[in-house]
Amino acid sequence: MEIRGGMELVRDVLDKGLCVDCGGCVGLCPYFRSHKGRVAMLFDCNLEKGRCHAHCPRAEVDLDAVSKKLPGGHYTGEPAGRFLRMVKARAGKKMAGRASYQNGGTVSSLLALALDTGLIDAAALTDRKGLMPRPRVVTDVAGVLACASSKYMASPTVAAVHEAVAEGFRRIAVVGTPCQATSVGQMRCDPLDRSETDPVALTIGLFCTWALDARLFSDLIPDGVAPESVTGMDVPPPPASVFSLHTSNGTVNLPLETIRKAIPDGCRVCPDMTAEFTDLSVGAMEGDTSWNLLICRTEVGDALVEMAVSRGYLDTTPMDPAQADRLMEAAAVKKARAMEKARDEGGLNSEEGASMFRLAPAVVDKIMGRGAPTPGAREER
Amino acid sequence: MSHLHEERPGTRRLCMGNEAIVRGALEAGVAVAAGYPGTPSSEIIETLSESAESEGLYVEWSVNEKVALEVASAASFAGLRALAVMKQPGLNVASDYLLHLSGSGTRGGMVLVSADDPGALSSVNEGETRPYAKLMEVPLLEPGDVQEAREMTAWAFELSETLRNVVLLRTVTRLSHASGTVVMGDVQETEKRARFTHDGFIIDPMEGVVMSPPVEWKHGQQQEKLEKARALFETSPFNTYEGPENPELLIITSSVCGLYSREAVSLLKAEERVGILKLGTTWPLPEALVKKHLASAEKVLVVEEVLPFLEGEIKILAAESAGEIGVKQFFGKKEGNLASTGEMNPDRVVGALSAILEIPYEGLEAAYAQRATEVSFMGSPNREATFCPGCPHRASFWSINTALSMDNRNGFVCGDIGCYSMAVLPAGFSTLKTLHAMGSGTGVASGFGKLSPFGMDQPVLSVCGDSTFFHSILPPLANAIHHRANLTLVVLDNSGTAMTGFQPHPGLGVDAMGSPAHSIDIPTVCKAMGARVSVADPFEVATTRETLFDLMDQEGVGVLVLKQACALSPEKKRTKAWEMSVDESACLGETCGCNRLCTRVFACPGLVWDKEKGTARIDEVVCTGCGVCADICPVGAIRRDVAESV
Repeated sequence: MEIRGGMELVRDVLDKGLCVDCGGCVGLCPYFRSHKGRVAMLFDCNLEKGRCHAHCPRAEVDLDAVSKKLPGGHYTGEPAGRFLRMVKARAGKKMAGRASYQNGGTVSSLLALALDTGLIDAAALTDRKGLMPRPRVVTDVAGVLACASSKYMASPTVAAVHEAVAEGFRRIAVVGTPCQATSVGQMRCDPLDRSETDPVALTIGLFCTWALDARLFSDLIPDGVAPESVTGMDVPPPPASVFSLHTSNGTVNLPLETIRKAIPDGCRVCPDMTAEFTDLSVGAMEGDTSWNLLICRTEVGDALVEMAVSRGYLDTTPMDPAQADRLMEAAAVKKARAMEKARDEGGLNSEEGASMFRLAPAVVDKIMGRGAPTPGAREER
Repeated sequence: MSHLHEERPGTRRLCMGNEAIVRGALEAGVAVAAGYPGTPSSEIIETLSESAESEGLYVEWSVNEKVALEVASAASFAGLRALAVMKQPGLNVASDYLLHLSGSGTRGGMVLVSADDPGALSSVNEGETRPYAKLMEVPLLEPGDVQEAREMTAWAFELSETLRNVVLLRTVTRLSHASGTVVMGDVQETEKRARFTHDGFIIDPMEGVVMSPPVEWKHGQQQEKLEKARALFETSPFNTYEGPENPELLIITSSVCGLYSREAVSLLKAEERVGILKLGTTWPLPEALVKKHLASAEKVLVVEEVLPFLEGEIKILAAESAGEIGVKQFFGKKEGNLASTGEMNPDRVVGALSAILEIPYEGLEAAYAQRATEVSFMGSPNREATFCPGCPHRASFWSINTALSMDNRNGFVCGDIGCYSMAVLPAGFSTLKTLHAMGSGTGVASGFGKLSPFGMDQPVLSVCGDSTFFHSILPPLANAIHHRANLTLVVLDNSGTAMTGFQPHPGLGVDAMGSPAHSIDIPTVCKAMGARVSVADPFEVATTRETLFDLMDQEGVGVLVLKQACALSPEKKRTKAWEMSVDESACLGETCGCNRLCTRVFACPGLVWDKEKGTARIDEVVCTGCGVCADICPVGAIRRDVAESV
């Protein structure tokens, strides 16, 4: 893991358009700020090594080191990462109907339990104002419920972790997309030896195929749609091929082809669909949107799920193996495609200069061999 | 020290060149003076304003140089002696009126003082006054020292009345700001009574309509006046010659270059070989006088600053008279003996002379010069020009730069002339990307603001000072608003013409003489013109930044007036709003998370980096207690406590 400074981060990530606005570099110092979905360096910082670079999920990510930290064990290149089990899950009777959940309400239910039991003292989540995502530190269930539902926009959520640390919280939960989870994983590796203790108690990952650049997306929505009127967003299952914007005046469907123009380039090299470096990962259940697909990766995560079920926070039910297969297939495609793109751009195990990812060459071969890109492969979220 | 008007004739006093000009004007019985501040001319109006009350003068800081010339000329039309004062770029502003004024002619003595700044010591140009004399067909006087500045100014009024036209008097930084002994002359007792006679025969210059038509006839009159001036100049005592009767080399020079030439000739001990013809009346050239001297030498070196104005005119004269005086060998700018840029100085003249006359000269021993360079390079810290401690501009550009960087669309700021011009440097976080004349930032921004059809999607900002706002922002602002250009104008209102010494302007409730004046409210003006207007205190960095975002995100013209008095302003002197201190245990210093933001980037001189401790500290002597650095510090290590009143 070659850590460099802020100037190199600008050169190797921001200037190359690889930034996904995860917020890993934001809120640590006065130099990096996120505004309207984009990260900028305000003034030059000449430090040779900085946390901004260490945390970046597009700069020198040692996938093996991050994997060893969480969920534990080597990075093997398996499509959905290392995990203990997969189940279908949704809010239990204690949590059902308490917010307009995107799908089953699994994340909100688990966070509610974690707060109620004191497993965590704060959660770094993503709120929304109009179309612009807003990182937020919440400390109670009401705050959790206010942040329910998917935002789809690339969001500097990791900045909320830094904010929570600065405020003194030491049992923080993070809910984030794969890039955000990778950033938090790198932060917890603490390569610059800046933390006395690991401030993160729980990480819940969100499945993600791509996010949207909020500014580019704002330019794509029809003139008549006021950002303040947006109540929710959704990608309905195939063959719809649309992005649905739910507003107070009804639903506006935009062709997926149009929306793709707003995907940051940094998403195209992301090898992670299921947020592998987490305790738990949650996604939509294809074909049954009232449920979530829940992946338990660590003992901590698994124990939380067990308790959530026993205390009525969560309902779970076994998964149809065919559904698991479809998830694996999609995740493998994303991984192989991203690795190929990263390699083409000189960002994979590069021997000279900056590399996005570093991992064992054997694992690269395994990923490439298994998931050769297939035309027309589904990319839905 | 007594005021200049109180000095008795014959007394000697150490005067700045600008003071000598004032004394000359007072001796001539000037009644009205108007100008716009600009280094190196500002002390003239300022010093005159001190005599205004006792001498019964009217003195004003006009809104700009064109208006200053118009105001002063009105006094001349009414029979009074009048003075207009400006730095050379101001002459460009006033030139449209000058063209018409020189065509109409004047009545009471009318002198226009224009101050050049060769070497651009306090300017962003090396603009030239002298070619205007030729262009506008008016006489030009150039004092060569401080005593001459007094005498020539006094005489300029007489000359103007003899010719009935405006007389241009050119000074330069090294004359205006150098001091020398001046022997005072007599103060003329004049009756200062104004009456504008306009009902005589329409083209009567003293009783008719004051105008440049009928153009051909008036133009002819004007040229006759110039010939009259030439005749007077032939015998003027301001044109002097020193040296042998038939010098090996004739130097022809004017202004302070006369002093440089004398010094150079003396250093080379070439008094027997070189003659110096110093001209005080440089347009129109006293041709007979110059011809006489040209005839006396084979080689001619013209010593003048910046452009070869004299050189060109003398060469024309020499060519015309070649049959009479013989063919001369010329040295100067064209031949590469002297540079056409930068200030002249004795060393440059020595360099030219030693080459022409083949006199070896080593000003500084090479080994010594080398050692001195090395030592000074190692020993002196690199100090860039920067804003004063507590300067509102530093805070303003901090917020502007932050807003533009966060906005992340490669936005930029167009600027103009003021202390804030320094924002091209790290002092202002290199925020300023175009820098031209007074008011030009907003005109240029108005143009940039119309380029979106060509794909330009960068936010466009401009900045101006409060005095500049009245001087030359109103037309480009009207242009931008009218044409729906997309731009945000930030008015850096520091409550005065701060750069040149807090001269009042129309936004303030006082005039040059200290009398109450009507103040014009900048935000109200901008609102009335149709701009979206916000007002903020630049010391409130978060509010300033958010306001900028708000203005930048909207279509059309937005104006943000950032109001905070200059740190050096009289009302702020010796006052502190906050007592600042650094909590050393909290200061992150050079570690990741700060990396010396306050001392390395914000870089207010009131903040000091303590190398030994690895923390920042406040230099209490320098700190003005503005409190802004407390908002800059990422961990709140810089504390701000309400200062006890001093």
